[in-house]
Amino acid sequence: MLFAPALVLLVVTTSAPLVYLLWTSLMRIDLTMPFLSGFAGAANYVKMGSDPRFWNSLLLTLIYTTTTVVLQVVLGLSLALLVMQIPRGQTVLRVAAILPIVLAPVVVGLFWRTLLLSPDFGLVDLVSHALGFGSHAWLGDPQLALVSVIAIHTWQWTPFAFLVLLASLASLPPDVFEAARIDRANAWQRFRRITLPLLRPAIVIVVIMRTMIALSAFAAIFAATGGGPGTATEILNLYAYRTSFTEFNLGYGAALAVVLLAITLVISFLMFRMRRGR
Amino acid sequence: MRHTFARRFALAASAGMLLSVWGFPVLWALLTSFKTERDVLAYPPKVVFEPTLAAYRDVLFGASSIVPNLVSSIILSLGATFLTLLVAVPAGYALARLELPTKRASGFYVLATQMLPPVGLIIPYYLVLQKVGLLDTYVGLIVIYLTFSLPFAIWLLVSYFEDIPREMEEAALLDRAGRFRTLWYVILPQVRGGIAVTTVFIFLNAWNEFLFAVVLGGNRVRPVTVAMFNFISVEQTRWASLAAGAMIAMGPVMLLGLIAQKHIVKGLTVGAVKGGGRR
Repeated sequence: MLFAPALVLLVVTTSAPLVYLLWTSLMRIDLTMPFLSGFAGAANYVKMGSDPRFWNSLLLTLIYTTTTVVLQVVLGLSLALLVMQIPRGQTVLRVAAILPIVLAPVVVGLFWRTLLLSPDFGLVDLVSHALGFGSHAWLGDPQLALVSVIAIHTWQWTPFAFLVLLASLASLPPDVFEAARIDRANAWQRFRRITLPLLRPAIVIVVIMRTMIALSAFAAIFAATGGGPGTATEILNLYAYRTSFTEFNLGYGAALAVVLLAITLVISFLMFRMRRGR
Repeated sequence: MRHTFARRFALAASAGMLLSVWGFPVLWALLTSFKTERDVLAYPPKVVFEPTLAAYRDVLFGASSIVPNLVSSIILSLGATFLTLLVAVPAGYALARLELPTKRASGFYVLATQMLPPVGLIIPYYLVLQKVGLLDTYVGLIVIYLTFSLPFAIWLLVSYFEDIPREMEEAALLDRAGRFRTLWYVILPQVRGGIAVTTVFIFLNAWNEFLFAVVLGGNRVRPVTVAMFNFISVEQTRWASLAAGAMIAMGPVMLLGLIAQKHIVKGLTVGAVKGGGRR
């Protein structure tokens, strides 16, 4: 009974819209040409097959998600292992790590776009210039723009992986390591045979959570590049958004969103199964 | 001896690097916010400059003041936080005490709702709110905010409720305290920490929300995250104002982050560490 209000709210705010979304994806709703609106069947989905912009956004989503998640976990884990060695000052580091996490992604995107990445004045550009790599149009060049938005996401969210893994590292039983040391296991063996298996559950959870977040990433890219230049950083989220709210083609936008949802569900299902399997 | 010294030096150096990679961009924005627009564009960049509050004045009292947006953000975030807690606390408690099969099913449902990418939901929200005339209203947006805050809050709270020994409430129930009184006087004081963590997270997420606000808001409901774009136009970017605006807009969450630092780390890890054992 106590759960009832929450259940009702969740059904109203998530499940019902989902059904409505599926319905919308079968419609032709073009706010610029409302007289053409009507039931369209699978037309929106058929259209996707021959829409290069869709395939591009799908590929970008894949690249964006895998690289950011891998980078976050690898960097986060390395940093956590490193920081565990530091006897003092962990608190300061934790505080610094909190900063990116609490910032709004849209503000982070704007920060990077202006203060860090803009040619000639941005901090990153200045450093790159000083190191002899020259000044670049970080967000203007298609390939660099993709690298940049990946860097932005990684900058903001590596602290998450770092903090979670640091906490799990700290909660590992010290006597196991002591025993291994006595058995003369070297650092790599200790890491490979003890730390990694013990951390596995935490790592898996971090991967799952970060994948979900990366798949629904929007604001930082929207603020930094808006999906551009052209469609160079237009992941599926941005494509669905642009289609729906700048081109006002809600039907096709809904179909794109359904594909995104399906991908998210399939990936999370696989990940949870993988997790339960071990 | 030399080995340990070199090692310690390397560790300290890498720790310093870390600190600067995460902290410096924010510090740089803080510095920029005290510059004049002219100083911002100086090359090489000025580290020493005459600090001015001009940008802050512009942001607070200028033509595109963000004060109304701050009010918007406060109403939205507090409203969403309050409403979420009101529903999530009983739900979390109930879920933690449910019989197993139902629990697994509802638990999975809660988790699944949390995974829906917002972009997928925003089209139906837009169409529905438009139909019922709630576009650009606080009520509309706060209800929508529940979609992401509620599942998360329930999920977080369940793990705290599960830590409370059942005996405690059984004792209270034997003493003929009703369900609600038991919840209020016996259970809730035990999970104060969990509720604090949850509150911090919901507030942060609501304050930082952008996508829903930009599509479903408008001229009346326009939180600070959307207002940041005031300072950027095709012709020019007002850097110092943008930095000052960002400092004001992000001040509350940064402060919250620093104060509730322990809570936040805990909240991040509850999911990760404890979630491992539950399902």
